[in-house]
Amino acid sequence: MENNLLRIEDLVNNPTPRVPVCLCLDISGSMGAVEGDCEETGETVFEDGETWNIVTGGTSRISELEAGVEAFYEEIRADEMTVYSAEICIVTFGDKAICIEDFANIERQQELPKLCPAGDTAMGEGVNLALDLLERRKQEYQDKGVDYYQPWLVLMTDGKPNGDEEELARAIRRTADMVNNKKLTVFPIGIGSEADMDVLGQFSPKREPLKLKGLKFREFFVWLSQSLSRTSMSMPGEVIKLDTEGIKGWGEL
Amino acid sequence: MWKIVQCAVQGRGHMQMGIPCQDKTCFLVRNGVTVIALADGAGSARLSHFGAERVTQFVCDDLCENFDRYFDVEDGSLVKKALVSKILVTLDELGGKLDCEIGELASTLLFVAVKDERFILAHIGDGVIGYQKKDELRVASLPENGEFANTTVFTTSREAVATMKLIKGKTGEIRGFVLMSDGTEASLYNKKEKRLAGVIKRIMNHCLLILPEKVEEQLRAGFEAAVREATGDDCSMILMVEDREPFQGYSNLAPAEKARLLSLPVFIRPRRLRRYDVILHSLESGRTLRELARILRLKPKYTKKYLKRLAKINYIERRGNKYYTIVIMNT
Repeated sequence: MENNLLRIEDLVNNPTPRVPVCLCLDISGSMGAVEGDCEETGETVFEDGETWNIVTGGTSRISELEAGVEAFYEEIRADEMTVYSAEICIVTFGDKAICIEDFANIERQQELPKLCPAGDTAMGEGVNLALDLLERRKQEYQDKGVDYYQPWLVLMTDGKPNGDEEELARAIRRTADMVNNKKLTVFPIGIGSEADMDVLGQFSPKREPLKLKGLKFREFFVWLSQSLSRTSMSMPGEVIKLDTEGIKGWGEL
Repeated sequence: MWKIVQCAVQGRGHMQMGIPCQDKTCFLVRNGVTVIALADGAGSARLSHFGAERVTQFVCDDLCENFDRYFDVEDGSLVKKALVSKILVTLDELGGKLDCEIGELASTLLFVAVKDERFILAHIGDGVIGYQKKDELRVASLPENGEFANTTVFTTSREAVATMKLIKGKTGEIRGFVLMSDGTEASLYNKKEKRLAGVIKRIMNHCLLILPEKVEEQLRAGFEAAVREATGDDCSMILMVEDREPFQGYSNLAPAEKARLLSLPVFIRPRRLRRYDVILHSLESGRTLRELARILRLKPKYTKKYLKRLAKINYIERRGNKYYTIVIMNT
Protein backbone atom coordinates (compact mmCIF):
# COMPACT_ATOMS: atom_id res chain seq x y z
CA MET A 1 0.00 0.00 0.00
CA GLU A 2 1.46 3.34 -1.02
CA ASN A 3 1.73 5.84 1.80
CA ASN A 4 0.78 9.36 0.86
CA LEU A 5 0.68 10.76 4.37
CA LEU A 6 4.31 10.39 5.42
CA ARG A 7 6.99 9.71 2.83
CA ILE A 8 10.77 9.53 3.03
CA GLU A 9 11.07 12.81 1.12
CA ASP A 10 9.03 14.54 3.85
CA LEU A 11 11.64 13.81 6.50
CA VAL A 12 14.29 16.13 7.85
CA ASN A 13 17.86 14.99 7.27
CA ASN A 14 19.70 15.52 10.57
CA PRO A 15 23.30 14.30 10.83
CA THR A 16 23.68 10.95 12.62
CA PRO A 17 24.95 11.44 16.20
CA ARG A 18 28.58 10.30 16.38
CA VAL A 19 30.50 8.13 18.87
CA PRO A 20 34.18 9.08 18.90
CA VAL A 21 36.36 6.09 19.81
CA CYS A 22 40.10 6.33 20.42
CA LEU A 23 42.15 3.13 20.44
CA CYS A 24 45.26 3.86 22.48
CA LEU A 25 47.59 0.94 21.76
CA ASP A 26 50.88 -0.14 23.26
CA ILE A 27 53.40 -0.88 20.47
CA SER A 28 56.46 -1.02 22.72
CA GLY A 29 59.11 -3.65 22.04
CA SER A 30 57.42 -6.17 24.32
CA MET A 31 54.42 -6.26 21.98
CA GLY A 32 56.71 -8.16 19.60
CA ALA A 33 56.71 -11.05 22.11
CA VAL A 34 55.77 -14.35 20.54
CA GLU A 35 53.47 -17.06 21.88
CA GLY A 36 52.66 -20.54 20.62
CA ASP A 37 55.03 -22.92 18.79
CA CYS A 38 58.39 -21.20 18.35
CA GLU A 39 62.09 -21.98 18.35
CA GLU A 40 64.83 -20.03 20.10
CA THR A 41 67.67 -18.79 17.87
CA GLY A 42 70.04 -18.32 20.80
CA GLU A 43 70.26 -14.56 20.24
CA THR A 44 68.90 -11.98 22.73
CA VAL A 45 67.88 -8.36 22.57
CA PHE A 46 67.34 -5.68 25.27
CA GLU A 47 64.13 -3.78 24.63
CA ASP A 48 61.44 -2.03 26.68
CA GLY A 49 63.38 -2.56 29.93
CA GLU A 50 63.88 -6.31 29.51
CA THR A 51 66.10 -8.87 27.77
CA TRP A 52 64.26 -10.97 25.18
CA ASN A 53 65.18 -14.22 23.41
CA ILE A 54 64.87 -14.00 19.65
CA VAL A 55 62.76 -16.83 18.24
CA THR A 56 61.32 -18.05 14.96
CA GLY A 57 57.70 -19.12 14.41
CA GLY A 58 54.81 -18.53 16.81
CA THR A 59 52.38 -15.61 16.81
CA SER A 60 53.34 -12.18 18.02
CA ARG A 61 51.09 -10.02 20.20
CA ILE A 62 51.27 -7.17 17.73
CA SER A 63 50.07 -9.27 14.77
CA GLU A 64 47.12 -10.52 16.83
CA LEU A 65 46.40 -6.95 17.88
CA GLU A 66 46.42 -5.88 14.24
CA ALA A 67 44.04 -8.68 13.34
CA GLY A 68 41.80 -7.64 16.27
CA VAL A 69 41.67 -4.02 15.12
CA GLU A 70 40.85 -5.22 11.59
CA ALA A 71 38.03 -7.32 13.02
CA PHE A 72 36.75 -4.26 14.93
CA TYR A 73 36.52 -2.28 11.71
CA GLU A 74 34.87 -5.19 9.89
CA GLU A 75 32.23 -5.60 12.58
CA ILE A 76 31.42 -1.91 12.58
CA ARG A 77 31.20 -1.84 8.79
CA ALA A 78 28.76 -4.76 8.94
CA ASP A 79 26.44 -2.97 11.39
CA GLU A 80 24.13 -0.62 9.52
CA MET A 81 23.72 1.64 12.54
CA THR A 82 27.25 1.96 13.93
CA VAL A 83 28.81 2.31 10.48
CA TYR A 84 27.40 5.84 10.31
CA SER A 85 27.93 6.80 13.93
CA ALA A 86 31.30 5.35 15.00
CA GLU A 87 34.39 7.42 14.29
CA ILE A 88 37.71 5.87 15.20
CA CYS A 89 41.16 7.25 15.83
CA ILE A 90 44.27 5.20 16.66
CA VAL A 91 47.06 6.42 18.94
CA THR A 92 50.11 4.23 19.48
CA PHE A 93 52.71 4.57 22.18
CA GLY A 94 56.23 3.13 22.24
CA ASP A 95 59.07 5.58 22.85
CA LYS A 96 56.60 8.33 22.04
CA ALA A 97 52.90 8.80 21.34
CA ILE A 98 51.76 9.10 17.73
CA CYS A 99 48.34 9.41 16.12
CA ILE A 100 48.54 6.93 13.24
CA GLU A 101 44.87 7.20 12.19
CA ASP A 102 42.91 10.38 12.74
CA PHE A 103 39.13 10.51 13.30
CA ALA A 104 37.04 9.88 10.22
CA ASN A 105 34.02 7.94 9.20
CA ILE A 106 34.86 4.22 9.01
CA GLU A 107 34.14 4.04 5.30
CA ARG A 108 37.00 6.44 4.65
CA GLN A 109 39.47 4.37 6.66
CA GLN A 110 40.13 1.50 4.29
CA GLU A 111 43.87 0.77 4.76
CA LEU A 112 44.94 0.49 8.37
CA PRO A 113 48.55 1.40 9.12
CA LYS A 114 50.94 -1.42 10.04
CA LEU A 115 51.91 -1.64 13.73
CA CYS A 116 55.66 -2.13 14.38
CA PRO A 117 56.73 -3.00 17.92
CA ALA A 118 59.69 -1.00 19.20
CA GLY A 119 60.86 1.10 22.11
CA ASP A 120 59.55 1.78 25.64
CA THR A 121 56.04 2.17 27.04
CA ALA A 122 55.17 5.89 27.08
CA MET A 123 51.64 5.19 28.27
CA GLY A 124 51.02 8.59 29.90
CA GLU A 125 52.00 10.40 26.72
CA GLY A 126 49.77 8.06 24.71
CA VAL A 127 46.70 8.59 26.88
CA ASN A 128 47.20 12.37 26.99
CA LEU A 129 47.38 12.50 23.21
CA ALA A 130 44.26 10.31 22.97
CA LEU A 131 42.33 12.60 25.34
CA ASP A 132 43.47 15.69 23.43
CA LEU A 133 42.26 14.19 20.17
CA LEU A 134 38.89 13.24 21.70
CA GLU A 135 38.47 16.79 23.02
CA ARG A 136 39.36 18.26 19.65
CA ARG A 137 36.88 15.96 17.89
CA LYS A 138 34.08 16.93 20.31
CA GLN A 139 34.81 20.59 19.60
CA GLU A 140 34.55 19.90 15.87
CA TYR A 141 31.17 18.24 16.39
CA GLN A 142 30.00 21.21 18.42
CA ASP A 143 31.22 23.67 15.80
CA LYS A 144 29.34 21.81 13.08
CA GLY A 145 26.18 21.23 15.13
CA VAL A 146 26.56 17.43 15.13
CA ASP A 147 25.22 15.57 18.18
CA TYR A 148 27.54 13.04 19.79
CA TYR A 149 27.61 10.36 22.43
CA GLN A 150 30.05 9.94 25.30
CA PRO A 151 33.52 9.28 23.84
CA TRP A 152 35.29 5.96 24.33
CA LEU A 153 38.93 5.37 25.17
CA VAL A 154 40.29 1.85 24.72
CA LEU A 155 43.70 1.51 26.39
CA MET A 156 45.65 -1.69 25.66
CA THR A 157 49.06 -2.55 27.07
CA ASP A 158 51.17 -5.58 27.87
CA GLY A 159 53.61 -3.97 30.26
CA LYS A 160 54.44 -1.30 32.80
CA PRO A 161 54.53 2.34 31.82
CA ASN A 162 58.09 3.66 31.69
CA GLY A 163 57.64 7.05 30.03
CA ASP A 164 57.57 10.43 31.81
CA GLU A 165 56.08 9.99 35.30
CA GLU A 166 54.44 13.41 35.37
CA GLU A 167 52.77 12.74 32.05
CA LEU A 168 51.50 9.43 33.43
CA ALA A 169 50.12 11.08 36.57
CA ARG A 170 48.44 13.78 34.47
CA ALA A 171 46.93 11.18 32.14
CA ILE A 172 45.55 9.17 35.08
CA ARG A 173 44.10 12.29 36.69
CA ARG A 174 42.49 13.52 33.49
CA THR A 175 40.98 10.14 32.63
CA ALA A 176 39.67 9.44 36.12
CA ASP A 177 38.11 12.93 36.37
CA MET A 178 36.37 12.51 33.04
CA VAL A 179 35.06 9.07 33.97
CA ASN A 180 33.81 10.33 37.33
CA ASN A 181 32.06 13.25 35.60
CA LYS A 182 30.43 10.90 33.06
CA LYS A 183 32.39 12.49 30.23
CA LEU A 184 34.27 9.39 29.09
CA THR A 185 33.90 5.63 28.89
CA VAL A 186 37.23 3.89 29.36
CA PHE A 187 38.19 0.28 28.62
CA PRO A 188 41.62 -0.54 30.07
CA ILE A 189 42.84 -3.90 28.79
CA GLY A 190 45.89 -5.82 29.98
CA ILE A 191 47.64 -8.20 27.57
CA GLY A 192 49.72 -11.11 28.91
CA SER A 193 51.01 -11.72 32.42
CA GLU A 194 53.29 -8.68 32.64
CA ALA A 195 50.60 -6.06 32.11
CA ASP A 196 50.48 -3.64 35.05
CA MET A 197 46.87 -4.06 36.12
CA ASP A 198 47.29 -1.66 39.06
CA VAL A 199 48.15 1.25 36.79
CA LEU A 200 45.37 0.29 34.38
CA GLY A 201 43.00 0.28 37.35
CA GLN A 202 43.94 3.87 38.17
CA PHE A 203 42.66 4.94 34.74
CA SER A 204 39.31 3.38 35.45
CA PRO A 205 37.71 4.40 38.76
CA LYS A 206 34.36 2.80 37.97
CA ARG A 207 35.23 -0.44 36.23
CA GLU A 208 37.91 -3.08 36.87
CA PRO A 209 40.46 -3.28 34.07
CA LEU A 210 40.07 -6.39 31.95
CA LYS A 211 42.77 -8.93 31.27
CA LEU A 212 42.71 -10.28 27.75
CA LYS A 213 42.40 -14.05 27.65
CA GLY A 214 45.51 -15.27 25.83
CA LEU A 215 45.69 -13.33 22.61
CA LYS A 216 41.96 -13.18 22.00
CA PHE A 217 42.02 -9.71 20.53
CA ARG A 218 39.47 -10.60 17.90
CA GLU A 219 36.84 -11.69 20.44
CA PHE A 220 37.42 -8.54 22.45
CA PHE A 221 37.04 -6.22 19.47
CA VAL A 222 33.92 -8.03 18.23
CA TRP A 223 32.40 -7.56 21.70
CA LEU A 224 33.48 -3.90 21.66
CA SER A 225 31.79 -3.21 18.34
CA GLN A 226 28.59 -4.87 19.57
CA SER A 227 28.68 -2.65 22.64
CA LEU A 228 29.05 0.38 20.40
CA SER A 229 25.66 -0.22 18.85
CA ARG A 230 24.11 0.22 22.30
CA THR A 231 25.47 3.69 22.89
CA SER A 232 22.28 5.36 21.75
CA MET A 233 20.39 4.05 24.80
CA SER A 234 19.25 7.07 26.77
CA MET A 235 20.59 7.51 30.26
CA PRO A 236 20.47 10.11 33.00
CA GLY A 237 22.54 13.12 32.05
CA GLU A 238 25.65 14.36 33.71
CA VAL A 239 24.81 17.20 36.05
CA ILE A 240 22.81 19.49 33.82
CA LYS A 241 23.30 23.21 34.08
CA LEU A 242 20.20 24.53 35.73
CA ASP A 243 18.17 27.23 34.13
CA THR A 244 17.41 29.24 37.22
CA GLU A 245 14.98 31.40 35.28
CA GLY A 246 13.07 28.34 34.18
CA ILE A 247 12.38 27.10 37.66
CA LYS A 248 10.65 30.31 38.65
CA GLY A 249 7.29 29.57 37.20
CA TRP A 250 5.06 29.48 34.17
CA GLY A 251 6.42 30.01 30.72
CA GLU A 252 4.62 31.57 27.78
CA LEU A 253 4.41 30.68 24.12
CA MET B 1 -13.56 19.29 19.66
CA TRP B 2 -10.03 17.92 19.36
CA LYS B 3 -9.09 15.03 17.10
CA ILE B 4 -6.21 12.90 18.31
CA VAL B 5 -3.84 10.63 16.43
CA GLN B 6 -0.97 8.65 17.97
CA CYS B 7 1.74 6.25 16.93
CA ALA B 8 4.64 4.45 18.66
CA VAL B 9 6.97 1.97 16.98
CA GLN B 10 9.82 -0.14 18.34
CA GLY B 11 13.26 1.05 17.23
CA ARG B 12 15.65 -1.05 15.17
CA GLY B 13 18.16 -1.19 18.01
CA HIS B 14 15.51 -2.49 20.40
CA MET B 15 14.31 -5.03 17.81
CA GLN B 16 17.85 -6.39 17.50
CA MET B 17 18.28 -6.63 21.26
CA GLY B 18 14.77 -7.89 22.02
CA ILE B 19 13.94 -4.86 24.16
CA PRO B 20 10.26 -3.77 24.09
CA CYS B 21 9.20 -0.39 22.72
CA GLN B 22 9.84 2.06 25.55
CA ASP B 23 7.98 4.96 23.93
CA LYS B 24 4.41 5.25 25.19
CA THR B 25 1.58 7.61 24.25
CA CYS B 26 -1.78 8.13 25.89
CA PHE B 27 -4.76 10.49 25.73
CA LEU B 28 -7.87 11.14 27.75
CA VAL B 29 -10.95 13.31 27.31
CA ARG B 30 -12.88 13.89 30.53
CA ASN B 31 -14.48 16.75 32.46
CA GLY B 32 -14.16 18.98 29.40
CA VAL B 33 -10.40 18.47 29.39
CA THR B 34 -8.45 16.90 26.53
CA VAL B 35 -4.98 15.62 27.41
CA ILE B 36 -2.30 14.03 25.23
CA ALA B 37 0.89 12.62 26.78
CA LEU B 38 4.06 10.93 25.62
CA ALA B 39 6.90 9.34 27.58
CA ASP B 40 10.14 7.78 26.38
CA GLY B 41 11.44 5.17 28.80
CA ALA B 42 15.14 5.43 29.67
CA GLY B 43 17.14 2.98 27.57
CA SER B 44 19.42 2.36 30.53
CA ALA B 45 16.49 1.42 32.81
CA ARG B 46 15.27 -2.16 32.70
CA LEU B 47 11.54 -1.60 33.24
CA SER B 48 11.21 1.90 31.83
CA HIS B 49 8.47 0.83 29.41
CA PHE B 50 6.22 0.20 32.43
CA GLY B 51 7.21 3.53 33.95
CA ALA B 52 6.56 5.38 30.69
CA GLU B 53 3.14 3.80 30.32
CA ARG B 54 2.14 4.53 33.90
CA VAL B 55 3.32 8.13 33.88
CA THR B 56 1.38 8.97 30.71
CA GLN B 57 -1.79 7.44 32.15
CA PHE B 58 -1.23 9.29 35.39
CA VAL B 59 -0.81 12.77 33.89
CA CYS B 60 -3.84 12.26 31.66
CA ASP B 61 -5.92 11.38 34.73
CA ASP B 62 -4.43 14.07 36.91
CA LEU B 63 -4.87 16.88 34.39
CA CYS B 64 -8.47 15.88 33.67
CA GLU B 65 -9.15 16.11 37.41
CA ASN B 66 -7.07 19.14 38.32
CA PHE B 67 -6.76 21.31 35.23
CA ASP B 68 -8.42 24.37 36.76
CA ARG B 69 -6.55 24.02 40.02
CA TYR B 70 -3.19 23.97 38.23
CA PHE B 71 -4.10 26.71 35.79
CA ASP B 72 -5.16 29.08 38.55
CA VAL B 73 -1.95 28.75 40.55
CA GLU B 74 0.09 31.92 40.01
CA ASP B 75 3.43 30.41 40.95
CA GLY B 76 4.32 27.81 38.32
CA SER B 77 7.11 26.34 40.43
CA LEU B 78 4.47 25.06 42.85
CA VAL B 79 2.74 23.27 39.99
CA LYS B 80 6.04 21.74 38.86
CA LYS B 81 6.79 20.50 42.36
CA ALA B 82 3.27 19.14 42.81
CA LEU B 83 3.35 17.31 39.47
CA VAL B 84 6.77 15.74 40.02
CA SER B 85 5.94 14.78 43.56
CA LYS B 86 2.72 13.03 42.45
CA ILE B 87 4.57 11.31 39.62
CA LEU B 88 7.18 9.99 42.04
CA VAL B 89 4.47 8.63 44.36
CA THR B 90 2.81 6.93 41.38
CA LEU B 91 6.10 5.40 40.20
CA ASP B 92 6.96 4.38 43.74
CA GLU B 93 3.69 2.44 43.93
CA LEU B 94 4.44 0.81 40.60
CA GLY B 95 7.96 0.00 41.77
CA GLY B 96 6.44 -1.77 44.79
CA LYS B 97 4.26 -3.90 42.52
CA LEU B 98 7.10 -4.71 40.13
CA ASP B 99 9.62 -5.11 42.93
CA CYS B 100 12.10 -2.66 41.44
CA GLU B 101 13.81 0.62 42.26
CA ILE B 102 12.08 3.77 41.05
CA GLY B 103 15.08 4.52 38.79
CA GLU B 104 14.19 1.43 36.74
CA LEU B 105 10.96 3.19 35.76
CA ALA B 106 12.59 6.41 34.53
CA SER B 107 11.24 8.14 31.45
CA THR B 108 10.91 11.54 29.86
CA LEU B 109 7.49 13.17 29.90
CA LEU B 110 5.67 15.53 27.55
CA PHE B 111 2.03 16.52 27.80
CA VAL B 112 -0.53 19.08 26.64
CA ALA B 113 -3.89 19.58 28.32
CA VAL B 114 -6.62 21.82 26.93
CA LYS B 115 -9.84 23.01 28.53
CA ASP B 116 -12.12 25.52 26.85
CA GLU B 117 -9.76 28.16 25.51
CA ARG B 118 -6.90 27.41 27.89
CA PHE B 119 -3.95 25.06 27.72
CA ILE B 120 -1.16 23.76 29.95
CA LEU B 121 1.90 22.03 28.57
CA ALA B 122 4.83 20.47 30.37
CA HIS B 123 8.07 18.81 29.36
CA ILE B 124 10.76 16.84 31.23
CA GLY B 125 13.76 15.57 29.23
CA ASP B 126 14.23 15.26 25.49
CA GLY B 127 11.70 15.14 22.68
CA VAL B 128 9.90 18.15 21.24
CA ILE B 129 6.55 19.86 21.82
CA GLY B 130 5.27 21.81 18.84
CA TYR B 131 2.10 23.60 17.84
CA GLN B 132 0.40 25.04 14.81
CA LYS B 133 -0.70 28.65 15.09
CA LYS B 134 -2.76 29.82 12.14
CA ASP B 135 -0.83 28.20 9.31
CA GLU B 136 2.57 28.14 10.94
CA LEU B 137 4.31 25.31 12.79
CA ARG B 138 6.22 26.44 15.87
CA VAL B 139 8.24 24.85 18.64
CA ALA B 140 6.91 25.25 22.17
CA SER B 141 9.55 23.28 24.05
CA LEU B 142 12.98 22.10 22.94
CA PRO B 143 14.73 18.91 24.02
CA GLU B 144 16.68 19.02 27.30
CA ASN B 145 19.89 17.14 26.62
CA GLY B 146 23.20 17.11 28.39
CA GLU B 147 26.43 17.33 26.43
CA PHE B 148 25.79 13.94 24.89
CA ALA B 149 22.95 13.01 22.55
CA ASN B 150 21.66 10.21 24.77
CA THR B 151 21.87 11.94 28.14
CA THR B 152 18.79 13.67 29.40
CA VAL B 153 16.61 14.33 32.42
CA PHE B 154 13.96 11.85 33.51
CA THR B 155 10.90 11.95 35.73
CA THR B 156 13.00 10.33 38.47
CA SER B 157 16.03 12.64 38.07
CA ARG B 158 17.04 15.07 40.77
CA GLU B 159 16.81 17.86 38.19
CA ALA B 160 13.25 16.97 37.09
CA VAL B 161 11.61 19.99 38.76
CA ALA B 162 14.40 22.41 37.95
CA THR B 163 14.54 21.56 34.26
CA MET B 164 10.82 20.99 33.69
CA LYS B 165 9.24 23.40 31.25
CA LEU B 166 5.73 24.44 32.13
CA ILE B 167 3.70 26.74 29.93
CA LYS B 168 0.10 27.91 30.15
CA GLY B 169 -1.93 30.21 27.98
CA LYS B 170 -4.94 30.77 25.77
CA THR B 171 -5.29 28.55 22.73
CA GLY B 172 -6.38 31.56 20.63
CA GLU B 173 -5.28 30.84 17.09
CA ILE B 174 -3.54 27.60 18.00
CA ARG B 175 -4.96 24.85 15.84
CA GLY B 176 -3.04 21.85 17.06
CA PHE B 177 -0.30 20.48 19.31
CA VAL B 178 2.23 17.74 18.64
CA LEU B 179 4.48 15.74 21.00
CA MET B 180 7.37 13.65 19.71
CA SER B 181 10.10 11.49 21.25
CA ASP B 182 13.80 11.89 20.48
CA GLY B 183 13.66 9.00 17.99
CA THR B 184 11.06 10.89 15.96
CA GLU B 185 13.02 14.11 16.44
CA ALA B 186 15.70 12.65 14.14
CA SER B 187 13.26 12.77 11.21
CA LEU B 188 10.61 15.35 11.99
CA TYR B 189 12.58 18.10 13.71
CA ASN B 190 15.43 20.03 12.17
CA LYS B 191 17.90 20.26 15.03
CA LYS B 192 20.10 22.89 13.44
CA GLU B 193 17.26 25.25 12.59
CA LYS B 194 15.08 24.23 15.55
CA ARG B 195 12.15 23.79 13.20
CA LEU B 196 9.48 21.10 12.80
CA ALA B 197 9.14 19.22 9.51
CA GLY B 198 6.39 20.67 7.32
CA VAL B 199 4.74 17.27 6.94
CA ILE B 200 3.34 17.63 10.48
CA LYS B 201 1.01 20.28 9.14
CA ARG B 202 -0.19 17.88 6.47
CA ILE B 203 -0.78 15.19 9.09
CA MET B 204 -2.70 17.65 11.25
CA ASN B 205 -4.80 18.68 8.28
CA HIS B 206 -5.53 15.09 7.34
CA CYS B 207 -6.70 14.36 10.87
CA LEU B 208 -9.70 16.53 10.06
CA LEU B 209 -10.45 15.15 6.61
CA ILE B 210 -9.53 11.48 6.68
CA LEU B 211 -11.04 8.71 8.74
CA PRO B 212 -9.03 8.74 12.02
CA GLU B 213 -8.25 5.03 11.88
CA LYS B 214 -6.84 5.54 8.38
CA VAL B 215 -4.60 8.42 9.53
CA GLU B 216 -3.27 6.25 12.33
CA GLU B 217 -2.73 3.31 10.01
CA GLN B 218 -0.86 5.45 7.49
CA LEU B 219 1.11 7.20 10.19
CA ARG B 220 2.22 3.88 11.59
CA ALA B 221 3.16 2.61 8.14
CA GLY B 222 5.13 5.82 7.53
CA PHE B 223 6.92 5.47 10.86
CA GLU B 224 7.81 1.85 10.15
CA ALA B 225 8.99 2.50 6.61
CA ALA B 226 10.69 5.86 6.96
CA VAL B 227 10.98 7.45 10.43
CA ARG B 228 12.35 4.34 12.13
CA GLU B 229 15.01 3.93 9.44
CA ALA B 230 16.72 7.18 10.44
CA THR B 231 17.51 6.05 13.99
CA GLY B 232 18.04 2.98 16.14
CA ASP B 233 15.72 4.41 18.78
CA ASP B 234 11.98 3.90 19.36
CA CYS B 235 9.87 6.51 17.59
CA SER B 236 6.58 7.98 18.74
CA MET B 237 4.30 10.92 18.19
CA ILE B 238 0.89 12.04 19.37
CA LEU B 239 -0.98 15.05 18.12
CA MET B 240 -4.26 16.82 18.73
CA VAL B 241 -6.00 19.07 16.22
CA GLU B 242 -9.01 21.25 16.86
CA ASP B 243 -11.93 20.76 14.58
CA ARG B 244 -13.20 24.35 14.87
CA GLU B 245 -15.47 24.24 11.86
CA PRO B 246 -16.27 20.55 11.87
CA PHE B 247 -15.81 18.95 8.49
CA GLN B 248 -19.23 17.62 7.48
CA GLY B 249 -17.85 15.35 4.81
CA TYR B 250 -16.99 15.79 1.14
CA SER B 251 -20.54 15.06 0.01
CA ASN B 252 -21.88 18.05 1.92
CA LEU B 253 -19.51 20.61 0.43
CA ALA B 254 -20.47 23.25 -2.14
CA PRO B 255 -18.76 22.83 -5.54
CA ALA B 256 -16.24 25.61 -4.86
CA GLU B 257 -15.26 24.01 -1.54
CA LYS B 258 -14.90 20.62 -3.20
CA ALA B 259 -12.61 22.16 -5.81
CA ARG B 260 -10.51 23.77 -3.09
CA LEU B 261 -10.23 20.50 -1.19
CA LEU B 262 -9.17 18.71 -4.36
CA SER B 263 -6.69 21.50 -5.14
CA LEU B 264 -8.49 22.15 -8.41
CA PRO B 265 -9.25 25.56 -9.96
CA VAL B 266 -12.39 27.07 -8.41
CA PHE B 267 -13.89 27.52 -11.85
CA ILE B 268 -13.51 23.91 -12.85
CA ARG B 269 -16.10 22.58 -15.29
CA PRO B 270 -19.00 21.05 -13.33
CA ARG B 271 -18.78 17.87 -15.40
CA ARG B 272 -15.18 17.28 -14.37
CA LEU B 273 -15.94 17.93 -10.71
CA ARG B 274 -18.89 15.53 -10.89
CA ARG B 275 -16.46 12.90 -12.12
CA TYR B 276 -14.51 13.26 -8.89
CA ASP B 277 -17.80 12.99 -6.96
CA VAL B 278 -18.64 9.76 -8.73
CA ILE B 279 -15.17 8.32 -8.14
CA LEU B 280 -15.15 9.11 -4.43
CA HIS B 281 -18.66 7.74 -3.93
CA SER B 282 -17.97 4.61 -5.98
CA LEU B 283 -14.78 3.85 -4.12
CA GLU B 284 -16.50 3.92 -0.74
CA SER B 285 -17.06 0.23 -1.29
CA GLY B 286 -13.84 -0.47 -3.17
CA ARG B 287 -13.43 -0.95 -6.94
CA THR B 288 -10.80 -2.15 -9.33
CA LEU B 289 -9.55 0.19 -12.05
CA ARG B 290 -11.61 -1.61 -14.69
CA GLU B 291 -14.78 -1.53 -12.60
CA LEU B 292 -14.38 2.18 -12.01
CA ALA B 293 -13.57 2.87 -15.66
CA ARG B 294 -16.82 1.14 -16.57
CA ILE B 295 -18.77 3.32 -14.12
CA LEU B 296 -17.17 6.48 -15.46
CA ARG B 297 -17.39 5.32 -19.05
CA LEU B 298 -13.76 6.27 -19.48
CA LYS B 299 -10.82 4.32 -20.79
CA PRO B 300 -8.78 2.81 -17.90
CA LYS B 301 -5.73 4.90 -18.81
CA TYR B 302 -7.76 8.13 -18.31
CA THR B 303 -9.43 6.78 -15.19
CA LYS B 304 -5.99 6.06 -13.80
CA LYS B 305 -5.07 9.72 -14.04
CA TYR B 306 -7.95 10.64 -11.74
CA LEU B 307 -6.97 7.88 -9.33
CA LYS B 308 -3.35 8.98 -9.27
CA ARG B 309 -4.35 12.51 -8.42
CA LEU B 310 -6.68 11.43 -5.62
CA ALA B 311 -4.07 9.05 -4.19
CA LYS B 312 -1.44 11.76 -4.24
CA ILE B 313 -3.59 14.04 -2.10
CA ASN B 314 -4.35 11.00 0.04
CA TYR B 315 -8.14 10.90 -0.38
CA ILE B 316 -8.11 7.36 -1.72
CA GLU B 317 -5.84 4.40 -1.14
CA ARG B 318 -5.06 1.20 -2.97
CA ARG B 319 -5.33 -2.16 -1.26
CA GLY B 320 -4.50 -5.10 -3.51
CA ASN B 321 -6.09 -4.35 -6.88
CA LYS B 322 -8.90 -2.25 -5.41
CA TYR B 323 -9.10 1.43 -4.63
CA TYR B 324 -10.94 2.80 -1.57
CA THR B 325 -12.07 6.26 -0.52
CA ILE B 326 -10.56 7.34 2.77
CA VAL B 327 -11.63 10.98 2.86
CA ILE B 328 -14.67 11.44 5.12
CA MET B 329 -17.71 11.58 2.83
CA ASN B 330 -20.48 12.09 5.38
CA THR B 331 -20.52 12.63 9.12
